[in-house]
This record gives sequence, C-alpha cells and structure tokens, in this order.
Amino acid sequence: MAQLALQDVSKRFGSVLAVDGVDLSIEHGEFAVLVGPSGCGKTTTLRMISGLESATAGRILIGGRDVTNVAPARRGVAMVFQSYALFPHMTAAQNIGFGLRLAKVPKAEIVRRVAEVAATLQIEALLGRYPRELSGGQRQRVAIGRSIIRDPQVFLFDEPLSNLDAALRVRMRLEIARLRDRLDATMVYVTHDQTEAMTLADRIVVFNHGRIEQVGAPEELYDTPANRFVAGFIGAPAMNFIPAAIEATEGRELRVRFGPASLPAGHLRDAAPGPTTLGIRPEHLYIASAAEADFHGRVEIVEKLGAESLAHLQTEFTAEPITIRISEQPAVQPGDEVPVRVGRERFHLFGEAGAIL
Amino acid sequence: MADAVFVPAARRRFNPWPAVIFIVLAVLAVLFLAPTAGVLLSSIKTNRDIALGALWTVPSELYWGNFAEVLGNPAVHRYFANTLLVTAPATVASIALGSLAGYVFAKLPFRGSNLLFLVVVSGMFFPPQAILIPLFRLFNAMDLIDTLYPIVIIHIAMGIPICTLLMRNFFATVPTALREAAILEGANEWQVLTRVALPLSLPALAVLATLQFTWVWNDFLWPLIFTQSDEKRTIMLGIVNLKGQYSVAWGVQGSLSLIASLPTLVVFLFFQRYFIKGMTMGAVKG
Repeated sequence: MAQLALQDVSKRFGSVLAVDGVDLSIEHGEFAVLVGPSGCGKTTTLRMISGLESATAGRILIGGRDVTNVAPARRGVAMVFQSYALFPHMTAAQNIGFGLRLAKVPKAEIVRRVAEVAATLQIEALLGRYPRELSGGQRQRVAIGRSIIRDPQVFLFDEPLSNLDAALRVRMRLEIARLRDRLDATMVYVTHDQTEAMTLADRIVVFNHGRIEQVGAPEELYDTPANRFVAGFIGAPAMNFIPAAIEATEGRELRVRFGPASLPAGHLRDAAPGPTTLGIRPEHLYIASAAEADFHGRVEIVEKLGAESLAHLQTEFTAEPITIRISEQPAVQPGDEVPVRVGRERFHLFGEAGAIL
Repeated sequence: MADAVFVPAARRRFNPWPAVIFIVLAVLAVLFLAPTAGVLLSSIKTNRDIALGALWTVPSELYWGNFAEVLGNPAVHRYFANTLLVTAPATVASIALGSLAGYVFAKLPFRGSNLLFLVVVSGMFFPPQAILIPLFRLFNAMDLIDTLYPIVIIHIAMGIPICTLLMRNFFATVPTALREAAILEGANEWQVLTRVALPLSLPALAVLATLQFTWVWNDFLWPLIFTQSDEKRTIMLGIVNLKGQYSVAWGVQGSLSLIASLPTLVVFLFFQRYFIKGMTMGAVKG
C-alpha cells in the first residue's frame, strides 16, 4: 500500500485550474521530488497534501487513510518551508519543541526529544539562540528539526534550499540526502532546481500546467523522456531541439533528415515519415573529423565551466544556437567553424504534439 | 575628480531655509511648553504669589503645600480610583477586541471582509458631539447615568476602530508562513494568535496601550456628560472641581494637573521598552 496517494486531485482558484486531476502514488521510504516551471502546480499540490490548501476535487490518502478533509496537524505530515518560518520570539529549542508543547507533552520528554533531534542535526550548540542569531543554513536545520521531532509519516519540503547561496545549497543538499537515509522516511520535495531533483530523488514527478507530464527515476526521465517538455526541462544545459523530417528510403529504412544531415532512425519504434523535432543532448554531440561530421556550425560563444566547456553553435538550419558539451576535446574559439557528429541512437524524435516517437 | 570646481566658503550662496525652519520649530516648542511650564510654576507657588500676578516668575522659595493638599484630599483619591476603573478596562477591552478583529481581517479574510473593515474603521471619524445626545438618552433609559459604565462602554466602542486598524496592519506584516507552520504543528487559530501573532506584535500593542490609556485617562467630555455626583467624577473633572469658593485655586489645580499626568507618563515609560524594531527579524529569509 502506498504511503501517500493522490487520486484525481484538482485545485481551482476562481477561474484558474492550478492542479488538474493529478494521480500520484508514493511508497513508504520513497523520496519523491516534484519539479516544474513556476506556476505549474507543484507547490499547490504539496500544500494540498499538507492540508494548508483544500482540494477542489479528488482524494488524498496517507498511510491508506483518507485525509482529504482532515485538519493539517492530524494528517501525520510535517513541512519545511522555503522561508524557514521559524518563530522569531522563540529560541531554536523552543521552535523545535513547539508542536510537542501544544500537544502538552511533559516538559522532561520535550527536552529529551529536542536534544535527540539536535544531535541528529548537529545543532546542539545553537539550541539557546534566536532565529535572528542563526545563519541561513542553521535556520534551515532548525526548521528541519521542528519537522523531525513530531515523527511524521510524510515529510514535505517546499523549496527548502532556494534561499541559500550556491555553496551552502550543495552542503544542505548532502545533509538532506544523509537525513533521508537515516530517517527512512517518506519525503515529498518541491523544487524548481533540477540538480536538486536529480541528486535527491528516488522518483521525479514533472509538472506542467497543473498536470503530471511524467513520473520516473531521474535517469529514466533523462534517458527516456515521455515528451518534449520533459526532455527540455530535465538536464542542464537543456536538450537541443532541431526541426527535422522522417523519411523512408528505397530500402524501407527510416532516416531522420535535418539540414545537411541524415541519421538512421530505425531504432525508434513509433517513427513514421513526416515532420518531426529532433532532440539531442549536448553531450551526445561530438566535434569530429570533417569526414565523419553530420553538420558544421560556427562557434558563437564558449562557456568555460572548469572541467568542461559548453560551445554554442550557429547553424543554417536552426534559429536557436545548438549547444555541445566539450570535455576532453580540442579547445574551440568563437568564430571557429567546427564539424559536429551526432551520437547514433542517442537522439530522440518528437511528434508535432510533443509526444516522443 | 579633475573637473571638480572648488567654491570658496564665502562665495557659497546662503541658504536661509534651515535657519527659518529652526526658528519656527523653536517658537513652536516654546509655545507648546509654555502651558506646562506655567502649570509647573503655579504648582510650587502660594496662592498669594499667584494673586500678586507673579505667574511666570520663578519663585524665590519652593512651596510644596499645594501638593500636600492635593495628596491629602480624599476626593482626589476617589477621582484617581474612578479614572483607573474607567481607563484600565476600557484600554484592555478595546485592545483585546481590536486585536481579535485585526487578526481576522489580516489573516482570515472572507467575502466582504474588506468592506466590513472599512465600516469598522469609519467609526474613527464620528465626532463625539454627533452621538452625544442619542447616547445620553440610551444610557438614561438603561438607568446608567451617574455610573462609570457608560464611559467604559463608550471608550471601548470608540477605541475599537483605531485598535482594529493598527492591529490589522501589524498582523498583515507577520508572515503567513508562520501561521501555517503553527497550524501544521497543531495550533488552532486562538493559539496562533496568542502564541505567535501577539508576541510578535508587542510594539503595536505597546503603542496602542499608550495611546488608549492616555486618551481615556485624559478624557473630559464623556465623564462630564454621564456623571453628576462628585463620587463618580474622574480626575480631569476633579481638577476643575478643585476651585475655591471665591477664587480659582491655581496652585492646587496646577499640582493636581501634574500629579494627574504622572500615570500616563509612567505608562509611556513602561511600554517604551517594547517600542523596538526588528521583532520579526530572522523569522523568514529577508
């Protein structure tokens, strides 16, 4: 039985349908990350799970119990907010123990459990401090402590790292990953940062326009996206999309043609002659010899990232530059004309409606 | 800055405005302080000195008899007790009700709540004189004339709009995420208000307590209308009542005026420590 299940859940704000018939099932101990662009409905979905927002339609089940109309505190969920939401007039210890005090847990028990949580998060020295005396990362740890102490069935994270600087975000990401292993808890995590999604998730749920586009393991979404939206959203830098056409040769072999290039497309089971969009990830484009090249492009900009570089190429057959990832290849300079080869069987084709072929 | 041009001080154009503003403010300060100084000087002079016309001169000898007379007068004790009986409940009740209403308007809006808020706040703009006669007839019909109840009730009613306005605006600055976090921790709305919102609103509560206390304590009109016997008079009416049979007791009145203003001063000084900024600092990322 799923620990958390959403059955045909919708949310309407006036005339706006923010979440449109979402079905989702998350198993016990699973770390599910909801990703999508701003306004896609991921945070609204999280808030409906927490009970802070009521569902317009559908059912929400936690541990098999229908909690659709249950008060937030009785759902067995705890939430870590993007803004930390620490009570500024309380110390870190009082913040962590707030829920237990409301539940009238004996004082000695609260002290014991706060100390336990503080030890887990290594914030023992901070317990007497007020939120204003803590750094961003420390505040986030206290906020996580407040959610841990109640031993909830499901943890909800609403973009918890988006207010931290880049270095701290990486550290906190590791800490959340460790925490997740230690607690063996079910976690639902909302983010718009796909690196967080890829590194933390057991499964990623991609939202767009209030609907789920695809659910799957990070590598599954990366390697076999269900449609053009997922293909473009997952992966940084984004997948290159090139207008192309599928053609059948005299020998009945299917080939995809774009610009001067023609690639075999026999491995794509749903491909049929007609217009298509070719999707190629930057790491599946290689600088090759002129003889092996599928097309040539003029280097417009080179972004040096340290271990690797990204080159943006202008071509005659695309309006947008094509991005290629260069790691251990000869360095290129803006203005260079470079021969490029497409990795065979490493590209995707999308139909006119965006579905993968 | 090679192009910067040095202008000798003597050749800079004289700007008269700072001087004009300083002089105007100084004159205003003197005008505002003059009555207080007059009362203070009167309170430490004998009636004879005052009668001789030495109203604004510093006395050659301090005379404390006026204060002794006022502090030893049982009527003054009664005036103080009556004023406290009016001021304390009126201040507490108007702030409590204003806080409740303000919390609802800020954090639990409902259809038409903005209109209702405007209606409540518009209560501030009613001139007391316009409702004086209807209220007198109402309380007369209720047989409450010459009691302190009408004064308490009116001050609560007239304090609610300003308290609601101020508290609503303050609660609006308390991040909604704090309310939601408390609710997820198991708090009901009452607990969110009392354990989260109000503790964060101490500066606003301190301002309101000072304002309301001063306003009610210093009120002259409503006690004048609704009380008749000396047993029910408040301190401001008491000052007027302390006049001699044939002459005005300036010295005694001056000393009682000073003593009567002490509680408001104490309230201000007490709450002043809560007038601090940054109470919500660290609550959310900022």
